[in-house]
Amino acid sequence: MPIVELEKIRKVYDTKVAVEGLSLTIESGTMFGLLGPNGSGKTSTIRMMIGMTVPDSGSVSLFGKPFDRKALHRVGYLPEERGLYKKMKVLDQLVFLGQLHGLSEATARSRSLAWCERVQITEAIEKKTEELSKGMQQKIQFIAALLHEPELIIMDEPFSGLDPVNAELLQDTLIDLRKEGKAVLFSTHRMDQVEKMCDAIALISRGKLVLSGSMREVKSSYPRNRVHVVFSGDEAFLQNTEVEEAKNYAGVAELKLHTEAGAQKVLAEAMARGTVIHRFDVKEPTLEEIFIERVRASFGDEEARGIVDA
Amino acid sequence: MHNVWLIAKREYTERIKTKGFLIATILIPLLMGGGLFGVATLAAKSKTTSHIAVLTSQLQLADDLKQELQNGKDSQMTVDILPARTSHAVLDQEMANKELDGYLVIVPATDAGRRPTFDFTPRSTADIATSSAIEEALHHVLTKEYLAAKGVSETETAALLAPVTLNVLGKNGVHGNSRSSFLVAYVLFLLMYMVVLLYGMNVARSIIEEKTSRVFEVLLATVKPDELLAGKILGVGAVGLTQVGIWMVAAGLLAARMGATSGVQISTPQVVFFIVYFALGYTLYSAAAAALGAMTNSEQELQQLNMFLMMPLFFSLLMLTPVVTNPNSLMSRIVSQIPFCAPLLMELRISISMPQPWEIALSIGLILVTIYAVLWVSSRIYRVGILMYGKKPNLPEILRWLKYS
Repeated sequence: MPIVELEKIRKVYDTKVAVEGLSLTIESGTMFGLLGPNGSGKTSTIRMMIGMTVPDSGSVSLFGKPFDRKALHRVGYLPEERGLYKKMKVLDQLVFLGQLHGLSEATARSRSLAWCERVQITEAIEKKTEELSKGMQQKIQFIAALLHEPELIIMDEPFSGLDPVNAELLQDTLIDLRKEGKAVLFSTHRMDQVEKMCDAIALISRGKLVLSGSMREVKSSYPRNRVHVVFSGDEAFLQNTEVEEAKNYAGVAELKLHTEAGAQKVLAEAMARGTVIHRFDVKEPTLEEIFIERVRASFGDEEARGIVDA
Repeated sequence: MHNVWLIAKREYTERIKTKGFLIATILIPLLMGGGLFGVATLAAKSKTTSHIAVLTSQLQLADDLKQELQNGKDSQMTVDILPARTSHAVLDQEMANKELDGYLVIVPATDAGRRPTFDFTPRSTADIATSSAIEEALHHVLTKEYLAAKGVSETETAALLAPVTLNVLGKNGVHGNSRSSFLVAYVLFLLMYMVVLLYGMNVARSIIEEKTSRVFEVLLATVKPDELLAGKILGVGAVGLTQVGIWMVAAGLLAARMGATSGVQISTPQVVFFIVYFALGYTLYSAAAAALGAMTNSEQELQQLNMFLMMPLFFSLLMLTPVVTNPNSLMSRIVSQIPFCAPLLMELRISISMPQPWEIALSIGLILVTIYAVLWVSSRIYRVGILMYGKKPNLPEILRWLKYS
């Protein structure tokens, strides 16, 4: 049973089309990455998913049923822009948010304490939010989204603004939750995180879905036409007709070839010219490369340069 | 309903705990009470104490005038009697040195049977109190002199000039105290005016606070906008009621200790209707304030829209005097039916003279209908407005929001 099913949803704000005919499915127990450049409609899509706004057309289903507010008790949501009551104590705040999600006060309290320990912010419990660092506030918000043990966890840019140690802590937490069988959806434009964590992705650009599927499907649909070469000596082999694009950083080159088979020809030419090859690594394109390529294609090259900042 | 209760509870407990609440609860009645007491004391003691000189040759008249001015009802002046030919330049110099507040020149009438001419030169022409005290005293003295000349005895004169007491009776013939019932009406009016303004704006502020801290986005993931709105109005309203409640109980205890000597009595209907109209007025204004809060992004922007809330309150304040002086005139009856004014003006009419029951029922009905309409509009604006930020909406946009679901 798919946990989330969006069917051709469309949303228009005034004159701007935020989301256009978007369909996607998230299965239970998957880590789903929602990718896209800034302003592509990620947040609008997420908001429609949890009924904060209503799509102009199309349908949203959660847990196999048409959207119903009651289903929201099974969803945990971390919005892109974090917000907590500044003057409220951390524990009171967590208990309040837990209660709003239908927990009893006692349960909310004991779970808050357990979670604070798990993400290592026990010392913050008695403090007011405004006294905490931004990273700590983010962890609190993170806990708030998880207190009611939701089956679907939706996080908008969950790792932005965190130091590497804390980002990893939260990443590991999400991976643990996925192992427990929960569906996790998060949006980001950090491709390395997606590549490492996600089972499935959807790439949105200008409100439209440009790419979706499991990580394996997406990657295998692209040819293994990237070569990482470390060499010394003659660099004329880089001009081989099989090479579409080459970036040479004095002895280390990143090549993009026209075909997968081209790698052998390039290597053969290098050998023939007597270039010393220290390393010759044929790879599939990284998600980042796919991302930039697809987004550029959706915008037209010129425009994309200013927009893609991933 | 559970969510509304949770939100209201949070709003209430967080606000009650603040120092601001404590300070306002203690300080406002102190300042208001102190202010009222101060004004009352000043008014009681504000007898003119000017120092004037009287230039005349008619010594009898001057002496009577001096008696009147030094021991009169509203005056406690110092009066010097000087010969008519005293140089004005000397007196002008004394005035410049602030030793004298003015001088009165009495020129006897040339014809018998006519009044003398009185020329008063004050140090400041704005000193109305002194000149009106002199005017009144002269009138008194001249009447006395005339009566004395006609052979009326002094005791008879005093009896004739004594002030008249007018007994104002209530409908049941009991000796009512019209002054104190006016006072109560004024105090209740001002109390409601202040609390409605203060706490209505608090609702708007608390919405803006959630917008700037972006908490509402988390809340909206579980709570409906209407529930959020209802919770806020209830929570902040309960804070207002608590505060007024504390003041009322304190005032009641104080009145009980001082006994009935103060002469101020608040009747049970007054209290009941005050609570009813306060609750209605408060709900109406905070629902409207919530809409303003949802439309704006910062306190500064709120200040600009503030006047939409202030206007009906200000209008009610303007209507205060006409309604008090003539509570049953057609105009009073009409303005006290305007939903945004009714909580103040109908309440005022009730505490002065009880209007027809149907008028009270109609005003309550109208307020309820308006509350419903304003809440409907507010929750629509709220739902859309809180998710739109960065940009101030214009009127066509707000109208579109109303159609948007």
